[in-house]
Formats: sequence, C-alpha cells, structure tokens
Amino acid sequence: MEAILTRHLDQDNPQNLAAYQATGGYRSLNTAFDLKPEKIIETVEAANLRGRGGAGFSCGMKWRLRGADAPSPRYLVCNLDESEPGTFKDRYLLYGAPHAIIESVIVSAFALQAERAFIFVRGEYAKGGHRLIQAIREAETAGLLGRNLGGSGFDLHIDVHLSGGRYICGEETAQINAIEGKRPNPRPKIPRPSTHGLWGQPTTTNNVETLVNVPHILMNGAEWFRRLGINGGCGTKLFCISGKVKHPGVFELPCGTPARELIYKHAGGLDNDERTLLGFLPGGASTPFLLPQHLDVPMDFDPVAEAGSRLGTGSLIILDDTTCPIETVLNLTRFFARESCGFCTPCRDGLPYLVQILNAIATGNGSADDLALLDELCSTIATQSFCAFAPGAVMPLVSSLKDFHEHYEQHIITQRCPFDASRKEAV
Amino acid sequence: MDTFLIDGQSVTFEPGENILQAALEADIQIPHFCYHAALGSLGACRLCAVEINPKDSDKNARVVMACLEPAQKGLEVSLSAAAAQQVRRHVIELLMINHPHDCPICDEGGECHLQEMTVACGPSYRRYRGNKRTFPNQDLGPLIHHEMNRCITCYRCTRFYQDYALGNDLGAMRLRNEVYFGRFQDGPLENPFAGNLVEICPTGVFTDAVFRQHFARTWDLKTAPSICPHCSVGCNTLPGARDGTLRRVRNRAHQELNRWFICDRGRYGHQYSEHNTRPLSPRVSGINTDYRSALAAAARKIQAAAERTGGIGSVREDLEGNVMLRSLLNDLKGIFTAFNDPELEAATLTAVSRMQELDNTPHLAALEQIDAALITGDLTVHAPMIDLALRQAWRNGAKLAMLHSSVAPLTQFASTAATVAPREIHDMLTQLYRQISRQPETNDAVTQTIKTIAATLSQARQPLMAGVVETSTAQDIIALAELAKAFEPAAQLIYVLPGPNAYGAALLSAAGDTVSLLKAVERGEVQTLIVAGSDPFSEPRSGARWRVARQKINTLIVLDCIATATAEAADILIPVAAWPERSGTFVNYEGRAQGFSTVFHRPEYLPSTADIISEISRLLENQLCDAASMLQDSFPGFQAPTPGTPGVQISAQHLPIRNNELMQTEPYSSDNGWQAALTSWLGDEPLAGFSPALTELAPPDTALINPESAARASLKSGSSVRLWNSVYSVETCVQINPSVANETIAIPRSMLVRLGIGHGDSLNLEQLV
Repeated sequence: MEAILTRHLDQDNPQNLAAYQATGGYRSLNTAFDLKPEKIIETVEAANLRGRGGAGFSCGMKWRLRGADAPSPRYLVCNLDESEPGTFKDRYLLYGAPHAIIESVIVSAFALQAERAFIFVRGEYAKGGHRLIQAIREAETAGLLGRNLGGSGFDLHIDVHLSGGRYICGEETAQINAIEGKRPNPRPKIPRPSTHGLWGQPTTTNNVETLVNVPHILMNGAEWFRRLGINGGCGTKLFCISGKVKHPGVFELPCGTPARELIYKHAGGLDNDERTLLGFLPGGASTPFLLPQHLDVPMDFDPVAEAGSRLGTGSLIILDDTTCPIETVLNLTRFFARESCGFCTPCRDGLPYLVQILNAIATGNGSADDLALLDELCSTIATQSFCAFAPGAVMPLVSSLKDFHEHYEQHIITQRCPFDASRKEAV
Repeated sequence: MDTFLIDGQSVTFEPGENILQAALEADIQIPHFCYHAALGSLGACRLCAVEINPKDSDKNARVVMACLEPAQKGLEVSLSAAAAQQVRRHVIELLMINHPHDCPICDEGGECHLQEMTVACGPSYRRYRGNKRTFPNQDLGPLIHHEMNRCITCYRCTRFYQDYALGNDLGAMRLRNEVYFGRFQDGPLENPFAGNLVEICPTGVFTDAVFRQHFARTWDLKTAPSICPHCSVGCNTLPGARDGTLRRVRNRAHQELNRWFICDRGRYGHQYSEHNTRPLSPRVSGINTDYRSALAAAARKIQAAAERTGGIGSVREDLEGNVMLRSLLNDLKGIFTAFNDPELEAATLTAVSRMQELDNTPHLAALEQIDAALITGDLTVHAPMIDLALRQAWRNGAKLAMLHSSVAPLTQFASTAATVAPREIHDMLTQLYRQISRQPETNDAVTQTIKTIAATLSQARQPLMAGVVETSTAQDIIALAELAKAFEPAAQLIYVLPGPNAYGAALLSAAGDTVSLLKAVERGEVQTLIVAGSDPFSEPRSGARWRVARQKINTLIVLDCIATATAEAADILIPVAAWPERSGTFVNYEGRAQGFSTVFHRPEYLPSTADIISEISRLLENQLCDAASMLQDSFPGFQAPTPGTPGVQISAQHLPIRNNELMQTEPYSSDNGWQAALTSWLGDEPLAGFSPALTELAPPDTALINPESAARASLKSGSSVRLWNSVYSVETCVQINPSVANETIAIPRSMLVRLGIGHGDSLNLEQLV
C-alpha cells in the first residue's frame, strides 16, 4: 500500500520547507491552480473522500453544497482540536508534517475560494501549534502564502488558533464561537455554518486528516484514491489503536481493513496472550461497543454502521476480559460529564446523573431499578440534547446495557465489582 | 392569517414565528425557561418539548422544541402527547437535581417560574441519590442579591445583561453542571439596567436586595398600575406595598414604552418614600402640627398677601397639582411658574414647542427601529430607557453619533463621538446644519467629525435627533430642531425633559414667568411663596439667587414628599402623598398623558398636592373646582387616562415657536477660561437622591478634566483644586477623564449648586499646594 498521509511524517525532526519541497511537497499547488475550483471539488467528490473527524460526511459534497456563489469573505476552518479519548492521529500530522497540513489547506481553500483559513489546534498541542506557525512563516516568506501566492492570483492568509482547551471546541459551531472569541457553546444548526458561519459568513470546517488527503487526490486522481481502499473503502485512514494491545499506536492502512487485522496483526494482539477479547470501541470514546463476533467487519463507515456502531475517528480502544466494562463506561461517561459545555439541560445535568448511577453500580451500591433508569434517562439525553455531544456521549453506555447486561446484573446482585472487589464503597 | 393546531385548538401565527411564540401569544402556555420574548429562542433548557404529528401516517411523530420549530400552516402539534410530557418531566427532574428545596425561605417563592413549571410538568418526587452541587455566592452590590445554588442555567441573565443591555461585567463562567453566572470578582453590577435580572431570572438566583431588607410575600403585596416618577420617559410600573409601606417596584409592560424592562433608578429609586427624613407631619414655624392648623395658617398668609403671592409648581408634580396651583394663583392674580430656573424654563418650553412643531417624536419601541441618530448629552442618566432602546437600535445596526461635554456611557456604542465644551455645542450643530444643507461658509474649517456625522445622518432612512434639555440652552435646542427639520419628513426628534411631568408643566407655563417671579421675589414684591413639589434652593444656576431672595419672603409654604433644602427652610411645610400613595397624571416626553393609581395608604394622613390646594382655596372662600374640571379648563376635551391603559396624547394648543428672545438671562461671560459641565450618575435625580441603595453607588465628588486640558494646567489625577466663581468656591480634587471636553471641568450637581452656577457657566480653577 502506498502511504500518503504518513509520507512526510517525522515526529522528532519534521521537514522544513526545503526538505518538504525536495521530497515532492507543494507540488499539488500547481496542479490545483491549473484547475477550475469546481473541477477540484468534483474530483474530491468522485474520490469519495469522507470526513475523518467522525461524521464521515462526503467532503466533496460538503464543498459543493456550500455553493460557488457564496458571498465573500469565505472561510475555511481546519479542525485540529483532536480531543476524543483514544484518538491521537491528528497529533502525528501536526507534529510530524506541518507543511503537509499547510499544503492541504492551500489547495482546499483554493477549491473553496476562501481567502482566509483558520487552523484550530487543540490547546495541549501547543508545541505542535508553534511548529505549525513556524512552518506558516516559512511558507509566507517563500511566497506560498499571502497575496497572489505562488503567482496564482489567489490570496490566502492562514491563522493558527490555539484552543483554550475543551472537548466541545471540536464541535463545528462551538469552534466557530471560540474563534470569534466567544464562549464555545454550540450554535443552532440553522442557519447552517456553510452559509452563516464565522462572523455570519460562509464557513467550511474539515478535519485535518480529511484535508491532508486532498493534495494526493488532485495529483493522482479520484480513481487512484478509491483503489487505495479495500473491502469497499476508499483511500487510506489513520487508525489509532489503544487499550489492552501489545503495540498501541497510529497505523496508516487502507480504509476497510478488518478489525481483526488491525488488532492482531498491526497492534500485535492482546498484550497478554492468555486473555480473550471482551469487546472494543471502533471509533473513539463516543461510539457503541463492538464485540468479538465483529472482528471481521471492515473498518469503513458503512460496514461499521451496519454492525451497529460508528467508524468515528477510526480509533480502536481494546478491552480484554480483565477489564470491567462498567468501569470503562463509567470512566468515559465521567469524561463526557466533565466536558459538557453546560449549555443544554439533558447533557449538562443528565450526564452527571448517569455518572452517579454508574458509580453506584461499579462500587457495589447499584439497585435493581438502576438499569431501567439508565435506559430511560439515556432515551431523553440522546434524543433531546442541543448538539451531537450528548448523543455520542451515551452511545457506549447504551450499547453496554445491551452487550454487557450480565456484567451489570452481576455487579448489582453481588453488590460488588467482579473484576476488582476493592472498588466497594461504603454508602 | 395562517393557523396550526395545538391539541386540536387553532392557533394563528405571523410568518417567521416559531410554535412557542405563536402559542404564548394565543395564551396557550407551553412550559419554557430559556425563551423570553425580548431575547428570543435559545434552545438550551429543552423544556418546551412538543410532539408533531407526521403528515404521512407511515412516519413517526417527532418530539421537537417548540421554540426552535417554525410555525407552519396546518401543523398538528401536541402538548399533551406522552412522549413530549416525558421529555418535559425529565428536564424538570434534571434541573431539580441541584436546585435547593428552599422554596419556603426563598424570596422568589410565589412568583417563581421554576416552581410553576415543576408543578405543571415535573415529577413530584426525587430519584437522584447523589449530593447537590454547591456554589459560593457573590456580593453584587446593594441592589441585587445573588444565590447561585438555585441556578438552572437557562442563560437568560447573561443574554439580557450582555446581549440586550450590553453590559460586560456579568457572564457565564466555567462549564458542565458548574456553569457560574456572576462577575469576575465581587462588586456592584455596573450596568444601569442590572435590576432587571431580578425579573428575568426564572428562579431565585437574582433577587431584589432592597425588597429583601423589608420583605413580603408576593401574594401579600398590594399593587396597582403606576408611572415611574424618576424621568420624563414615563415607564409603567407596578409598585407593591404591604402594611402601609412601599416594598418594591417592578416593571409593568407597556407595548410602546417599557415592554419588559425598567432602569435601576425606576426600580430602586422608590426608597425616597420610606426615607427617615421624609416629612410626614405638617410643620408651622418649625413646630409639628396637624393639617387643619397648617392649612389654616397657610390660608391666612395667602389671604394677607393676596396678589403678592407667588407659586412654583414642578416638573415632578402631577398635572393635577400644577393645574390647581396655577388656578389658585390666577384667582389671586399672583405669578405662577412650573420652573425654578429661567434657563431651564426657556429650554423646556423650546423643546416642547419644537417637538409639537415637528410632530415626530418616537416612542421607545419605534426608537429601536431607527438607523442613525445624533445625540447631544448623556441619555444614560437623563432618560435611561431611551438609552436602552438606542442600544437595541445599535444592535440592529444603527449608527450613533454623539456630542457630549462630559461622561456619557452611550458613547461606547457610538460610531462617531466628540467631546464638545458646553458652549460650543451650538456652534457644532450650526456647522452640521450648514454641512447637511450644503451651504458651508468659506471660513468654516469643517472637521472630519462634522463630515462623518453629516454623512451618517444623510445616508439614514430615518435619522433621529436626541437632546437633553437639562444640559442644553434654548439655542442648542433650536439648532438641533433645525437640523431635524432639514431631514423632514423622515427625521425624528426627542428632547429628554427635566422631569416626569415636564411636558405637562411646560403646557401650563408662560414663557418668562420664572424670571418674572424670581425678580419679583428679589425685589421684595412677593410676600408669600407657595412651592409645590419643587426645590428652587437646590437649582444649580439660580439656587443661590433663590436662597438669597428668600430673605425677602414673609412666608414660604412648601408642599413636598421629600426633605429638600427648600422644604427644610419652609415656614409652613405641608407633607404630601408620594406617587404610589396618590393618583394623578404625568405627561411624558412624547406628550403622552398617563394616569397612575393609588397603590396604598400610609398610616399617616397624606393628601395629594391637588387636594391641599383645593382645601386652601376653600378656606380662602374663592372656591376652585376639583382638579378634573380645572384640567378641562386648561385642556378642553381632556379626559384623564385610566391608570393601566396606554395613555393618550395630550391635546393642547401648540406652544409658540420662539427663537432667540427666549434667552432672558445674561449671556455667558465671554472669557476663555474654564467652563463648568454637569456630570451625572444614575441616582442623580431629586427623588432617587433619597434612596440609600442607589446613593451608596454614587461616584466620589471630584472635578473631571480631560488629559490635555489637565496637562496644560499642570494638573494631575488627585491634584487638590479650588473652584470658584465671583461669589462662591469649593475645594475638591481632580480626576483625569478623557470623556470630558477641552477646557471643561465636569462636576456633580451638588458642586454646581454650591457654586451657584449651571452647566456651561464660567468657572475659575486654582491649584492648591
């Protein structure tokens, strides 16, 4: 397989401009500038490049739907606010290949005819953010950014916005508020950010990994890109594997690679060979569990959805049979309760309620009615919250109520955690 | 109009309305928290869940938020559907997780929206077994009490405070279920509309700290429709009293004036009526007596003086009181005026005559729609709710241009603002007029400011000219009116008048009577002076003259409800009812007459001004009819508007349009030294000055000077100076403030009074070592 996303990656000494150009960097600019913006969008759509930030929406379609006649100024936001537990792929791109990000933003902004782009970087990635700023300065000095960049007649200014640091800032509209200097609460989705985004202007937000594919698609064509995938997937994907495996890490592999291959071949299998797989989260913390019977599901958007979960960010979190799934769900729910922006009631007050119940169960204080109560609360939280945060937050919990029902019952009946009796708390 | 159905009931809606708006207008109560008519939809609380039946029977019904779902023709909405009820019950359950069960001791109890919603939607019992979250509270100053544990995070407070009132010292901090609504650190809220938090908060986080000191349950309060007496806007209020004392004032919606909000002076100024210096017993020659004796004494003195009686009505006295006093003086053939100061009389009469002439003075709701304005002076203090309406216009994109001599908080929203010394405003306005009518004189050095303002106004669909009478001369007022006329018929004109009934007082006044009366008093031609609801001794420019002339008066009779300097000096002091204790009529800046009701009676007998004058007249045996008939005489066809109704435009003959001859007093001295400017703050108003909660917030008395002028005079912040004019002097210290015009010393009213000078008068400064 041809590595495209990780081609220029060097975590310790990322390439400077000269080295990046010497190894083929920035060549897509000339390809792009020779094309009409609509043609680029058409190619990206034909390549079936789907959003790598979690939703999996067609990138080309998103660009096309914004419309070529969107009023100026138009903005492009590159979302590098990677905060999903278990997800650490964008960090590799940021630290390892800042110029690849800049090149992608330039050609994407050209396709969208956006005169200003923002790269929203997770606050904890400050060092990477500074590397990126340095690279932008290099590119500006070389005339690859700014007015009439590369002699194309196209103007682009890139700003790096280092996040104040909250999970919710990764949500598209909350991120727009954050860039505007406001409290990062999500905004209503109508009117859409594509027409009324930053400062009320047309704004397109894409995950950084999504954008980094674009130069390669332009240079090699849509068909080439589609063929990079297997089992119906298109292109390659950065998979993160963490949890109870021998070699956790980031792996660039074809879209559609089965979970079994990811876990047992690339990540080296479970870290203790005597253990068996209990289950895994396929796409980061806010996706439903998959079980051992799903190991042969191709890790691509549609097959994972058919299996009842979401590919999300393609970040697998592996649980073996020594891991208490209730403790895991409690841990995740606690994270989401902590990261709720506090805007809408179901999320703000519902998630801590779930934490309270889960904690009671996990520490041997659960009651017989708790499972029904969890189910009841999740039904409102998942459907009546303002943004997509809370529905995602309860996904592992909702699926665990079904997949690990026996574990829950065991905790409640025995009034202790079967994995670790020391967790028992006095009421 | 199109309709949709809520549980089978037909509801009409305007295009663009959502289901919740349309339902509330049709008086169908869909439970809600974060939606507010003034603030619109937010979608945060998730309480207004309703079910929408699908058009196709094969689709499922969906639960949506009524505040976010556009009303559509033929939509079938169900409030009672089980799925919608379950969402509402869950939302209440979640909100009550952390809400303290302190209703029995909570100030909001009985008028708590959360209480009502919980009873309407919620589970009666608690399932949550965990601990409640607790917050520390903040000291937000003397007006508002903070109790954050009660918060249900509906964001109404910050949306009102930041988005609507454009304040910046209250915000949402932190996240998750720990969102904290407060200030960065303890301290009084700075926005002049902060008191509305008390009403906009759906539960007891922000409560009225003044009411709290002397609390009563809402169901025990006596209320009746009233009108705010603290400025000329005439906001509608609902005072609440119990056991013969006034406890609080709340907003009462008027569709064209104050719809949801009032200013902090209107809400907290009422403490004057409970002030411990308030005169409650008649006093003759310093000795407390009863009304019968006091009125008999007053009648004797008036009878003895006959035509050598003078009368001063007031801009804060109701129409009835003023008209009765004027009628009495007419009968006696003495001089009546409703003003204390000749210049203020000239300015007010000019302003009213010009508003009558242009006949395009907008109400507050219309003000929010203007697209450009030229404002001279400080609206924030002199008419806070006009300021709030213009903040809405600014939010809608209106361009505000401001000319001001001293501090004017609205300048932070001005597209163009210039500091202009008081005596140069007229020249600025004249230059603007020439620029707009394209006849600049060749020797006019037209500044960029003038060009910008002229362009702003010329490009506007509906430019507004707004001036403040108290800090304008009659000439300034004429100049602003001429500017408005240059834009006729589009232009709108507002003058903020110097009192709640200044418009009515002007209609009852003849130009020049104030100076005639003052001079007559100075010449010893007035033996008995009746002052009703006025304080001539505390008038900045003429107060000193009145105080001296008082020696020539045999008997000073004062009718008032506050202990003014004039009342303190009265030979016969007759206390009258405060506004919530009587009924009457005020005419606001638009000429809108509005009635107010008696809310309650104090234990003491306290008649109204009109009643007292009627009684004196009976004792004098020259029977005046009742106030209603006297009003009929002055304003043919006038029917006093019923309290609680929107009021009526007062039908009166237009005051004569006068030009320069209105200036009766000596012109300003022509030296080029310092000019005095009035700098005010929210509590700077005769009644509110007796409200301890407001006066606690008064800024220190200093002399404000701008950095350049201070540097030229080698003054620094904190420099001790003596300010003096020909007769009086005061010592104070300097504070540097860039909002003050060049060569101008901005000082508070009290200092102007002590110096015996007015806004724009000359002043000398001497640095003390």
